[in-house]
Amino acid sequence: MDFNFIPLAFGEVFSPTTAAYALAAIGLAVHFGFAGLLNFGQAGFMALGGYAFAVTTVIFGLPVWMGFLMVIAVSVVFALILGIPTLRLRADYLSIVTIAAAEIVRLSVKTPEFSDVTGGSEGINGAGRVFNEATNPLPDGRWGVGVLTYSSAQWWLIIVGWAMVAIACLLVWLLTRSPWGRVLRGIREDEDAVRSLGKNVYQYKMQALIIGGVIGGFGGFLFILPRSLQPDNYGTQMTFFLYTILLLGGAATVFGPVLGSIIFWVVLSLSDGVLSLLVSNGWLPIATTQQGPIRFIIVGVALMLLVIFRPQGILGKKKEALFSA
Amino acid sequence: MALARTAAVPRLGRALVAAFVFAATAFALFAAAAPAHADPVDPATADQTIQVWVRNNADKAGVAGVGVSVTGDGFDESFTTGDDGKVIVGLEDAGTYTVTLDESTIPAGMGRPNAISRDVQVFSGNKNQPANFLIDPSFAPDATGSGTGDGASESPTETPGASTGSSQDIAGLVIQKIVTGLIFGLLLALAAIGLSLIYGTTSLNNFAHGELVTFGGLMAFTFGNLLGLPAVLAIPIAVILGGAFGWTQDAVLWKPLRRRGLKLIPLMIVTIGLSLVLRYLFAFIWGADRMTLANDPKPFLVLGPVSLRFTDVFGAGLAIVVLLVVAFVLMRTKIGKAMRAVSDNRALAAASGINVERVIRVVWVGGGALAALAGVYVAYYQGLRWDTGAAILLLIFAAVTLGGLGTAFGALVGSLVLSVFMNLSTLWIPENLKIVGALVVMILILLFRPQGILGRRERIG
Repeated sequence: MDFNFIPLAFGEVFSPTTAAYALAAIGLAVHFGFAGLLNFGQAGFMALGGYAFAVTTVIFGLPVWMGFLMVIAVSVVFALILGIPTLRLRADYLSIVTIAAAEIVRLSVKTPEFSDVTGGSEGINGAGRVFNEATNPLPDGRWGVGVLTYSSAQWWLIIVGWAMVAIACLLVWLLTRSPWGRVLRGIREDEDAVRSLGKNVYQYKMQALIIGGVIGGFGGFLFILPRSLQPDNYGTQMTFFLYTILLLGGAATVFGPVLGSIIFWVVLSLSDGVLSLLVSNGWLPIATTQQGPIRFIIVGVALMLLVIFRPQGILGKKKEALFSA
Repeated sequence: MALARTAAVPRLGRALVAAFVFAATAFALFAAAAPAHADPVDPATADQTIQVWVRNNADKAGVAGVGVSVTGDGFDESFTTGDDGKVIVGLEDAGTYTVTLDESTIPAGMGRPNAISRDVQVFSGNKNQPANFLIDPSFAPDATGSGTGDGASESPTETPGASTGSSQDIAGLVIQKIVTGLIFGLLLALAAIGLSLIYGTTSLNNFAHGELVTFGGLMAFTFGNLLGLPAVLAIPIAVILGGAFGWTQDAVLWKPLRRRGLKLIPLMIVTIGLSLVLRYLFAFIWGADRMTLANDPKPFLVLGPVSLRFTDVFGAGLAIVVLLVVAFVLMRTKIGKAMRAVSDNRALAAASGINVERVIRVVWVGGGALAALAGVYVAYYQGLRWDTGAAILLLIFAAVTLGGLGTAFGALVGSLVLSVFMNLSTLWIPENLKIVGALVVMILILLFRPQGILGRRERIG
């Protein structure tokens, strides 16, 4: 019997993918947790961030810092496109427009017509290699314990990923403690009250959308480094994963998204491992192809239960989880 | 407010009647010929296939190793015939495809084919549509396959190659697209009205509405195909179970949550969780393959450039009848008036003695049943997968937003307009971007007329 899945699940605690989801969820926390913006299209920001970096560096062969600038530029433009028509409307309109916009991004980059630039449904391979060759200061080699032994490139990804998460946490912590952050929370609790104080609610919402979007774009950049860029990774289920992560840790907290992402991926990895064990030993009468859907069912149930019974998440305060709408 | 609503009724009624007359006329005159194209698909699982068969005229033996290219609008793939001289080409979409032989790959000394290329019309659901070629030393090939030989003439509406691009064809194409759009629009309307009514009465944006659609299709498939019941029984069972599913959802989930006083935003997140659970539960139970309900591919009604299958004609007629019944219920019956009253002003409706919870329950049952019927149509027209409902959910939202969130007739008008627009747009943009076009239109509508075509200004506060 193979119990390797237990240390492997522990490896999820610091894997670059966990960091990528944590980063994207921090962006979503700025949108949803602090500003009350119901953004159902964070997968679109991630897709654009990933594509902006991969197209700039892999397809056009430009330097890595140009890739970073493109991630920021593309995320800002996408936030403006989303925000201008919807931020003046009710929250539910923003949710429909953002989920639609994320699908527009996914279907557009997937279409064969643009495959010269986007790789069509094949996606783009090699962003991680380009990034590693350009930036990795670590010597060649492999370090680690048992199944958790990683190459120099993988260690560099882990370091970069968690450094970015730390910077994003610090940024969000400083922002939410500032007067700007207090206005944002005010908007979340009672938009009209803030408006009556003479604040330009629309401007504040737009700024929050842009900041969270750029953080989400960098989450997308981090997400593609350990894997190839596949358009279908950015379907609506990615956004739903992010909401589960966010609500698990606590939507209106700085470290909630990080804790949520770690718990989310460790639990998913463990449940996958246990299921495989049960199925391969014939203790669970399901086909191996039926294993895949189970993790999504677990996520969906967890999301519903969290919202209903503990909307503030693990780290949040109850009174901050009473959304105004 | 009540006055405004009554005043709006004749206008809504007229829009409704106009939409129906438009739809009905189009159906009486034409039918759905699906447009062409897309990527190659595995012939074993494809809904449509062409069977290319190259034979030697002398002994009628198959000729192996002949290069064959199949082209259609956006589809361009090359194949080689197998040992029996055949190759099966899987197609994602119906349409007209041109099958061309690569003459240089025909074994030397065997002769020439009776045609270099053939146009093959493939209707939705057609399997092994023939494209046959004979090779003989005596043949002098003509440009297109209208001449000698067996096979291609079996295709019901073979178009002579020379006439493509004439203005007549463009007009025909436009009419085809409009008819296809109207049929899909009716399907969309069935799902959209439920979504809009649920939104109107409970203010809930139900992101799990697509799963009600999938559920209906799956039930029709289960009872019709797996248990072998005739469609006349399987479809009503699917619709009834769809209504029951709506009832259960409201009784088990939404009503208790309303009791708990859960706010709208958390409720919307509950719907995305539910959507995830249901979608993957479907995948768990029914697997990941595409399911199609038995469909007679023969043209039932061919009028002008459009050819309709029986399911197209009957389905569209049934959808129109159902939508008229829904309109009657909403406009003329007590429960319909109560629904509109609750949509209009929930507190006022409750104060006037309307049992709001009962109205909401009826809306969930009706919405579930209508969505299930839409799912049955999807299973007939396009085939069904576990994520089909999720895939058309955004189109449903776009249609509802276009018409005006919370207005039942807006959902109908929005569905027809959106679907016709989406199909016509494929004249200019690639087929696989038509959904993108529809979603972009939705965002533009929100920018310039956020209340939608039939919505009222104050709804969007």
